[in-house]
Amino acid sequence: MKSSTTDVSHANSLSVSNPSRRDRACSRRRFLRASGLAMALPAMESFIPSVGRAFAGSADMVATTSTGAPLRTAFLYFPNGAIPSAWWPTGNEKEYQLNRTMQPLEPLKSKLQILAGLNDITANPGNDGGGDHARANSTFLTGTRIKKTNGADFRAGVSADQVMAHQIGLTTPFRSIEMSCDVVLNVGACDTDYACVYQHNLSWSSPTTPLTPEVDPRQLFERLFGAGTPKDRTRNLEIRRAQKRSILDFLQSERSDLSSNISRRDGLKLDEYFTSVRDIEQRIAHAESSRSARPQPNRDAPEGIPESYTEYMRLMYDMLLLAFETDSTRVVSFMIAGDGNNRDFSEIGINDGHHNLTHHGNRNDWIDKVKEIDLWYVQQLAYFLQKMEATKDIDGNSLLYNSQIVYGSACADGNRHTHVNLPILLAGHGGGTLNPGRFVNCNDVPLCNLFLSMMDRISKDSPKTFGDSTGRLTDI
Amino acid sequence: MHSPLSLIFRIALSVILIANHCEAQSSGEAVDEHLRSSLRDVTQFESEIKPLLQQYCVHCHQGENKSGGLDFDKVDIPTLLADNQLWMKVLSNVRAGLMPPQEEDQLPKLGRDKLENWIKSKVFRIDSANPMPGRVTLRRMNRTEYKNAVRDLLGIDIVEQMLPPDDVGYGFDNIGDVLSISPMRLEKFIEAAFKAVDLGVPKDTLAVPIRTYYPEDFVDEKGRNGDHLSFYQARTVSKKIVLQSAGKYRIHIYNKIDGDAEPRDPQECRIHVKADNVEFFTKQYQWADNNWTEDDCFIDLEAGEHEITFTTEPVFPELKPLRTKMEYRIVSVNVDGPLERSKWEHPPGYERLFPRDKPPTDPEPRRQYAREILKSFSTKAFRRPVPETTLNRLVELAEQTYSLPNKTFEEGIGQSIVAVLSSSKFLYHFEQAETSAESSSTEVIDEYSLAARLSFTLWRSIPDDELFQLAAAQNLRANFKEQVARMVADPKSAAFVQSFSNQWLQTNAILDIPINSESVMAMEQAPEKGSGSEKVAQALPNNAASEDPNAIPRAGRGVPGQGALAQGPQGVQGRGAVGFGGFRRRREYAGTELIPSVREAMKQETEAYFAYVLKENRSVLEFLDSDYVFVNAELAKLYGVEGIQGTELRKVAIAENNPRGGVLTMGSVLTVTSNPTRTSPVKRGKWVLENILGAPTAPPPPNIPALEETISSSSEKKLTQREALARHRENSLCASCHARMDPLGLAMENFNAFGRFRDFENGEQIDPAGQLVTGEQFNGVRDLKKALADKHKMEFYRNLASKLLTYAVGRGMEYYDIAAIDEVADRLNQSEGRFSALLLGVLESKQFHHRLTVSATDSLANANRAIEEKK
Repeated sequence: MKSSTTDVSHANSLSVSNPSRRDRACSRRRFLRASGLAMALPAMESFIPSVGRAFAGSADMVATTSTGAPLRTAFLYFPNGAIPSAWWPTGNEKEYQLNRTMQPLEPLKSKLQILAGLNDITANPGNDGGGDHARANSTFLTGTRIKKTNGADFRAGVSADQVMAHQIGLTTPFRSIEMSCDVVLNVGACDTDYACVYQHNLSWSSPTTPLTPEVDPRQLFERLFGAGTPKDRTRNLEIRRAQKRSILDFLQSERSDLSSNISRRDGLKLDEYFTSVRDIEQRIAHAESSRSARPQPNRDAPEGIPESYTEYMRLMYDMLLLAFETDSTRVVSFMIAGDGNNRDFSEIGINDGHHNLTHHGNRNDWIDKVKEIDLWYVQQLAYFLQKMEATKDIDGNSLLYNSQIVYGSACADGNRHTHVNLPILLAGHGGGTLNPGRFVNCNDVPLCNLFLSMMDRISKDSPKTFGDSTGRLTDI
Repeated sequence: MHSPLSLIFRIALSVILIANHCEAQSSGEAVDEHLRSSLRDVTQFESEIKPLLQQYCVHCHQGENKSGGLDFDKVDIPTLLADNQLWMKVLSNVRAGLMPPQEEDQLPKLGRDKLENWIKSKVFRIDSANPMPGRVTLRRMNRTEYKNAVRDLLGIDIVEQMLPPDDVGYGFDNIGDVLSISPMRLEKFIEAAFKAVDLGVPKDTLAVPIRTYYPEDFVDEKGRNGDHLSFYQARTVSKKIVLQSAGKYRIHIYNKIDGDAEPRDPQECRIHVKADNVEFFTKQYQWADNNWTEDDCFIDLEAGEHEITFTTEPVFPELKPLRTKMEYRIVSVNVDGPLERSKWEHPPGYERLFPRDKPPTDPEPRRQYAREILKSFSTKAFRRPVPETTLNRLVELAEQTYSLPNKTFEEGIGQSIVAVLSSSKFLYHFEQAETSAESSSTEVIDEYSLAARLSFTLWRSIPDDELFQLAAAQNLRANFKEQVARMVADPKSAAFVQSFSNQWLQTNAILDIPINSESVMAMEQAPEKGSGSEKVAQALPNNAASEDPNAIPRAGRGVPGQGALAQGPQGVQGRGAVGFGGFRRRREYAGTELIPSVREAMKQETEAYFAYVLKENRSVLEFLDSDYVFVNAELAKLYGVEGIQGTELRKVAIAENNPRGGVLTMGSVLTVTSNPTRTSPVKRGKWVLENILGAPTAPPPPNIPALEETISSSSEKKLTQREALARHRENSLCASCHARMDPLGLAMENFNAFGRFRDFENGEQIDPAGQLVTGEQFNGVRDLKKALADKHKMEFYRNLASKLLTYAVGRGMEYYDIAAIDEVADRLNQSEGRFSALLLGVLESKQFHHRLTVSATDSLANANRAIEEKK
């Protein structure tokens, strides 16, 4: 009997053994391998984007700064408000001291504006009674009263990020990215007779189409850059695009069979489907026309959702940074967690649910715990903003300089479910169009006024009004 | 103010749409006719109903203190009569005995019946002979359905998490209205389809035969397997295999070295792998922490039986084992071959898709064969015959691919299957009606649609061949009951059990909901003064005073001082017991902690309990009260049931005075209705109202903070939940609703935040006694269960019917569904609650077999919108 031995480092290509079992083993193995790795981003100096340069000097380009660099917008939503007494700075517009919750942002103080006096009154109860968290979540970016329903005829509004995505169009591979660290569990019921769509989604492309956020960093990465090793990724992405093109042709061609005998509501559902088919087609076409111009990250795809919440959130922020840095998109909405989120924070020594604690009834020990959670969220923000600041854009400015990033919540005081004087931060110079380093009182106006002013920075044809806006914010 | 005439006109309009008999009339006549009938209704209201309201309701529901925001006096009558939502509330409150309140004059039965009938027949316009079936919004498959359908089509499992979670409406994940699709979601469906094809569609006609073995397949003479082979022991495990033909084989060894991180173990181990006692692989391993390696060996083997053996040999026999572990672990072993091309075989599962030995080579027969395969596949996937045009496009798509150089016929079919699995016809539940319309506004769904409704209800997947053939032959309705029985008996009905039970009871969260066991236990043991053990020592004799003197043996309660609390988290592996994760010796579980395996057991109990009632056709009242539980050793420990061993759940009878049995005292339910550190009687009470009695509470009034706020931080002592709630109810704004919820939740206070029985909270004896808002007194949860099962069974029946109907038809229940729900409830009542009465009641209902026509659906939506805008 002859025998020979060869070492193979990867599962060999001929074997198609029991897939589920093998998958499990492999992914575990990958995880173990990866857990030895720091999740740090690789140096990004290798990206010298050539795309952006083409825009230099063309002031009419959408979402572009005066130097021709991309202008990025992000909306970062944190749940359940922040304890006001620890949030608001003391002092005046120029001379102010950051309060406890914002301490981690001290090094970035000159890069951001703390906006007071912004309201989301569309989240107020009105005649709809309870359900402030569902309302806060779905009105934050829409400024539109949502219909109280457990399902039938649910309706919100088009969200600010999607208006911007529409303004921008297919300048980049993705019109927009929606992401979240809130892994939704089917627990049967959400906030007081509101369908869960309202609490699970921040972005809406139409009043009836919520945009499900991506929660898995690996899937997000592969969606942006393709699957496989850094070397194979581009090629794999191209192969997959070619395969998809013919599939999409088929899907589109099926439309002709379906139009008859459906109700109006059914028609809306089908429109969603075929709009999605069209969207993917356009994206593939765009990607193929601008092939090879785009910088690619030289890191491995992340492994999936890390167990530690801190690691998880930082990884998602890394992905967001990567999306911006590679100019994969210029608009991102990041629902860090849906409003009403009741995650327990034993990771930082708080063995109770966040939402639960926010109803503190003025008990000091509870308030202190909420402050810790508020602080923790801001620490993660600081991590992200610092990286944005440390990353150079094509025009030599920092990514943060060329961005307008909102961090906020549509709950002000979680204890009382108030929606006025919301905790809102605006980070970045907007490519030189913003005036950060200030504590600005916006004087009791709708949050949508801020969004409108941000839209103005994206293109000249920004809408006249948005949501419940009453005007624009001139002093930001 | 609206003009009364315009209001009546609108009502009349909706009346026309609902009453279904306008076809013969011109719309003008119809409106006239219905104007007249509406006026007649107003007259009847004035003469018969208004006096009832005046006598029993208006007292509170009027003027300034209009309770619940309802003012019977103020609104004009036509507006009142058009408000279906309002009368839904009236009906459910009156039926539940919640209105009029206990302390007020009670509506006599006659009056109540009159009011009920009037609401159903005049306000809701329900014609019991021809009830309105409603119409589900075009449903997208949810990710569970998608996964199951792919399994039934291709015989493989994809990972559900490839797809984003689905939105939930009315408590269920299959509601057409809320299942939407976005570009990202569609992209994921397409990626999932690629994955499914990659796993489930062979890429070629022939392939090297593959055999995969796992550690449990390799055993020694004592029957111990090769999962953990210590570096310190010489052991041999083996597996006998039978080969059909002689040839060259590749043996692929996938293994890992698993040592505790510290200290580094100096022992080394040599592995010998032999085939029929001839060694073909040997290697020496050192200490490593999770080192995974793979090796390929090539050997020649004859046809017939062979024995593959693994032998471990310690390299330094003189070394004493450290206290840490150091193991060689087999992950998997492949015996692949013969490798000679002439001896290759069809890949596994080939015949499932490809009926012929090999595809024809000439283009036309090849195309015909592709057509044959794709017709059969897509018919099954689309749950109905496939249009020729679709089929042509699919064949074309396959041909485009298999005509390329280096692409096989099978890969071409694979590409078309990706298209089928991403297609709207697969992803959406398109339903069609029988050709003969029933009336202008309702129609009967065809048998293909019915087959799909049945299979997605009971299997959460596509119909199987038998069901599909019956539908194709128009024989399904004729064999309906038999098919339902067959489907329930099929193992695939586990999907129904799992989905429905956990969504009805909201227990899906049990695996993940944060519970801090230590804080929970500390609360029930903290005494007023002195140490914990003192207090408990005092407390235990008082046991007799609690409602449960003997049933739960004390030993099961983890008395402090025995170190139950001091043990800390237990090193228990999660799901998938043969996992390769950290292996630690398992301490005996004391029942004082909510560990992952107990969470899993709780989930299984809920499902096993439901499956038992379903399959044994027990009374659904056993959901409320029974004399059995489903437990394994750990859950039994937590429940205080003795003498149960092992990890498998089984049905165990419990003593008569044991408070367990039924969903109210299930670990899963008690846990998901708790806060991370303590119980929440309010959540539990609300849970009972919503999921058992179907009598939702009014939501908290705006700007009224949740319960805990009334507890001032300056309280000198910690309040028990009962004391806290009592304070809360001092506020009259809170009282009306909390009087409904609190007593229900307080009755369950003897169970802590993860369902463990307790007598004390913050050093005080728990008092579970109370009174329902409907007047029944009870002394703890056992009484409560009896009261629910005896006095409130109709509400329970109706609630269960409503939940199952929601799940089965995929939409929320509307006022016009009341008749169908009542019919199922009556059926349940007549059969003493048999589950079959519930299931068949729902599956045979009009709502399940019929639907509104498109035009009626759109008109109804218009009418609803008009009414809403006027509001």
